[in-house]
Amino acid sequence: MARFRYTVAAFVLAAVVGAGVMPAAAQTPKQGGHLNVMLREDLAQGFSIHETSTISTVWPSMPCLSNLVIFDPLKRVESADTIIGELAEKWSWQDNYKNLVFFLRKDVKWHDGKPFSSKDVKSTFDMVRAAPDAPAKLRLSPRKDWYANVEAIEAPDPHTVVFRLKRPQPGLLAMLASGYSPVYAAHLTPAAYRAACIGTGPFKVKEWRKGEFIDYVKNPDYFIKGRPYLDSLRYVVIKERGTRVAALQAGQLDVSFPGEISKTSAEQLKAAVPQLVITPVGTNVNDNIIMNMKKPPFDNPKIRLAVSYAIDRKGLIQAVHQGGGVPGASLPPKPYGVWGILEKDLAALPGYGKPEDMKARARKLLAEAGVTPQNPLRVEMATRAIAIYVDMASFVINELKQVGIESTLKQIETAQWHATMTRGEYQIGANLTGIGVDEPDANFYENYACGSPRNYSFYCSEQVAKMVDEQSQELDPKKRQQMVWAIQKKLEEDAARPMLDWRLDYFTVWPHVKNMVPHHNIYNFGRMQEVWSAK
Amino acid sequence: MATRPLGVEVPGIGVVLRRPGAWTTLTRFCRKKPLGAAGGLIMLLMFLTALLADQLQTYDPIATDAAHTLAPPGGEHWLGSDHLGRDIYSRIVHGARVSLIVGIASALLGSLLGGVIGLLSGYAGGKTDLIAQRVMDILQGLPLLVLALVLSASLGPSIQNVVIAISIPIIPRAARVIRASVLSIREMQYVEAARAVGLRHLRIAFRHILPNTIGPFIVLCTAQLGSAILVEAALSFLGLGVPEPYPSWGRMLSVSAAEYAQKAPWLVMFPGLAISLAVFGSNLLGDALRDTLDPRLRGA
Amino acid sequence: MKAYVAQRLGIAILTLFGMSLVIFALLRLAPGDIVDILFAAAGYVDPQARAEIMRELGLDQPFWVQYVEWMRQILTGDMGKSYRYDLPAWEIIGPLVPVTLELAALSLIVSVALGVPLGVISAVRQDTGLDYVLRVFSLAGLSMPSFWLGMVIILGLVAWLGWIPPMTYVSPRENLGLHLIQFALPALAVGYRSSALIMRITRSSVLEVMREDYIRTARAKGQSGGVVIWRHALKNAVLPVVTVIGIEFAFLIGGLVVTETVFNLPGVARFLVEAILWRDYPVVQNLVMFIAVIVILSNLVVDMLYGVLDPRVRYGN
Repeated sequence: MARFRYTVAAFVLAAVVGAGVMPAAAQTPKQGGHLNVMLREDLAQGFSIHETSTISTVWPSMPCLSNLVIFDPLKRVESADTIIGELAEKWSWQDNYKNLVFFLRKDVKWHDGKPFSSKDVKSTFDMVRAAPDAPAKLRLSPRKDWYANVEAIEAPDPHTVVFRLKRPQPGLLAMLASGYSPVYAAHLTPAAYRAACIGTGPFKVKEWRKGEFIDYVKNPDYFIKGRPYLDSLRYVVIKERGTRVAALQAGQLDVSFPGEISKTSAEQLKAAVPQLVITPVGTNVNDNIIMNMKKPPFDNPKIRLAVSYAIDRKGLIQAVHQGGGVPGASLPPKPYGVWGILEKDLAALPGYGKPEDMKARARKLLAEAGVTPQNPLRVEMATRAIAIYVDMASFVINELKQVGIESTLKQIETAQWHATMTRGEYQIGANLTGIGVDEPDANFYENYACGSPRNYSFYCSEQVAKMVDEQSQELDPKKRQQMVWAIQKKLEEDAARPMLDWRLDYFTVWPHVKNMVPHHNIYNFGRMQEVWSAK
Repeated sequence: MATRPLGVEVPGIGVVLRRPGAWTTLTRFCRKKPLGAAGGLIMLLMFLTALLADQLQTYDPIATDAAHTLAPPGGEHWLGSDHLGRDIYSRIVHGARVSLIVGIASALLGSLLGGVIGLLSGYAGGKTDLIAQRVMDILQGLPLLVLALVLSASLGPSIQNVVIAISIPIIPRAARVIRASVLSIREMQYVEAARAVGLRHLRIAFRHILPNTIGPFIVLCTAQLGSAILVEAALSFLGLGVPEPYPSWGRMLSVSAAEYAQKAPWLVMFPGLAISLAVFGSNLLGDALRDTLDPRLRGA
Repeated sequence: MKAYVAQRLGIAILTLFGMSLVIFALLRLAPGDIVDILFAAAGYVDPQARAEIMRELGLDQPFWVQYVEWMRQILTGDMGKSYRYDLPAWEIIGPLVPVTLELAALSLIVSVALGVPLGVISAVRQDTGLDYVLRVFSLAGLSMPSFWLGMVIILGLVAWLGWIPPMTYVSPRENLGLHLIQFALPALAVGYRSSALIMRITRSSVLEVMREDYIRTARAKGQSGGVVIWRHALKNAVLPVVTVIGIEFAFLIGGLVVTETVFNLPGVARFLVEAILWRDYPVVQNLVMFIAVIVILSNLVVDMLYGVLDPRVRYGN
């Protein structure tokens, strides 16, 4: 492990010289090598991806585990067309998208040597959806709702698995392709994954030194022959943000953490070390405003809409993200996603026009609701006590002030945030939402369905619920796209949860890191089997 | 930090200021303790800044400005602007308010509570003293920042709670110092005389002994002020201190500052210098006061 | 002497017992618990699952049962299980201890190496320009927040040299040079800060000693100034300096919290902050007790040293 800049420089130089002699060599993947990867905090629930919703667990755990299917690691944009097999060799939709059949690889072994079979798949997803006959229980299962439409999972033989659905749902495959959907070993308890990791992935955990690092070594029995390229990986935990970025700049880290590098950081890094490779990508994480519709004043749609009109989206992107974000509705816009509303339609939605016009509209709406400069609205704006939330909230408060809504900021301790929101103990909140996969079902059911625990604003519209169910069953992608656009428009017009922007990441690697393709979604590209080092 | 009592008590002699006129005292202090005078001047400026923050500010310290983010120091923003376009100078000016309020309130609260405990336990002696001393041991055994950390996590972030969290660790230090000086004064003749005349205990404690502990008390407060400001900054830095949107020096240094440090070093430099200057001032002043008011405490 | 030590130890145990009550109560008073944090990381809340985890961790028990259980564990030498890692707490804390002790020791060395000579020089040159400069230099160290100093060091290094000390722990057996480099900067940052107190006490003790008759006699007898000061004055100043070092130790551990975080050193102090934020009761409780034991022991040792160094001090009331 190179700890000094000059060692790194020497290696880079050697690589450059080497490449000069054999130009073709630079493009042929090289076996062997080691990379140090940035990690923001230690694992929250060990390697048990199914029990968390944080990139801090998914990113360092993915090299150990495998999915049935996954988004092609080498393709930046994720869509139904980029899904490739992992533990499943092939799959097919049957019975008009009501049965999803996976044909599994036969040559797969767990890291402890036991053979992999359909039983593992069934037991994993029965646990995740908390089926009554599941062999074990997950401590928590945050993505249970993704599988609400699964009637049963069957394993007719060791190499076939069938997901039987209640109704057609083509979007299910995309959810199974997320980094959030690994397969656990049936012969282990979920608790075992909190302490260690027995997976089928390209790397085996060698050591997890708590709070310090996770060391991986190549899995020689990995089912894809010739992969992984690297011999070893180390995920280094650095809690202090300034130190983290400094370590990347000094060459102690080769790869950044997804979603970590802001536009300004990237500019600083590039200025200091011009050879760094920086790729702006989407994150599938958005900033949004939640308003409690069960309580006044935000039970009044006019006031909600006024809030949406008042916030200058472009100004926010400039101030809070220094330009490192893109406007969009409830699904990420092109090219960062496939389902997002088109730019021209976006321009017609609340909050996207000229700031002065928008603020005038907001004032007019507020006046209609009885809020005037003489009689201003006073509210408490809740946000999570994390800098990225607070920055956004500070900006929004200033915007609302300009239309006559006086808000004070109330920071809620990180651990209390979800509970407070779920219980509806707030008026208005500045919130961040990350979505595991760019798939309308995952997003709409989680955040806008009546009664969903993550529907913090308690938005409940029969009309929208019907539209969501309809698009979920639609088999024609073109038609489905139209329906999804219509839903997004309706959600913004109802100010269900006004979207402010989609955050961008400036994923950074040193030039010797090859085939590390960041996706427009932070959660799905951490497998590392294609990554190699030119050092 | 008290003188170490050991088995042998080190007597702290309470020296009451003679009164040759305030102005003369002041000029003599300045002449004899130039560093202390400089510290006093720094503290005076800090107080004025905190007091007149609303008049001194050039911008609303919490107003964001999307068009002028990370502006360098200059005519528009004297000390530059932060990543949200907030004016650093105005935030530092208002930060003085938070730092001083928290610093003074907690130094005073801690010293007062500790002082009362020290006064009573030193005067009463016996079992009361023994128990009070053990309780103080418990509080003192914990490193200041660690205790403040647990306390502020327990109480949640708000100005009052930060004050409580910082003042509790000060209590045992104060109790020790005041107790030591009470022990020595207790045996003095005029106290014995008061007792002989039959004055009630509380009355003796507060009438005769208290005034003589004022010297050590002032020294103590000043000495704790610096560390209280530092602990507040550290807590805010760790996200446990005074919450946004109040500009606090410690919080100005957390997360975003480090992130933008290379492009905008003023984000890191100015709040850090503000903290250092305030603590420096109170340390200088504290040192000089200690030498002047209570020579026996020198060095402790 | 023996009776005195026994008495001191008795008091220490009583103090520790009281401390255990305080820390136990404080943690339970803190809003939220580990389960809230697990759900926060999962992004949802489910009351039923919550109750089950509480039961699993024994958090559904009444407080006094939890406390008695903790005491039972301590007395049997068991440090309990970390809620977060589901591992014996000692297994996690153990490897962190030497890192913090080494950093503390190095910082202490730095602060003595810096504080004592500066103190002597500034005493000898009392009220000269040099005295003021040294005092300002030393007080400036005491006035800078250690996290800020650390931050400026790291950011400055990377900005100017493109280099920072290693971010993962390098054991001395693996690479001694690199190990020392890794510890040098944080030790300097913390040590500079703590040196102020040592310098101050050295200065005042040397000043005091220099006024004593025998020093004047030695000088009169023609011994050169430097020899007199270093030989006699310093010898007599050792006592108060040792005292301050004892006090300093507790102070130092507090300063390490942020320094370890900024320099990413895997020590006790950094881990403690993390464990507090995670409400990992067994880890926090036992770590705080551990630090308290060290502080109390170091105070005891200092008092013993006091006796050795100064025969005038008698123990006992």
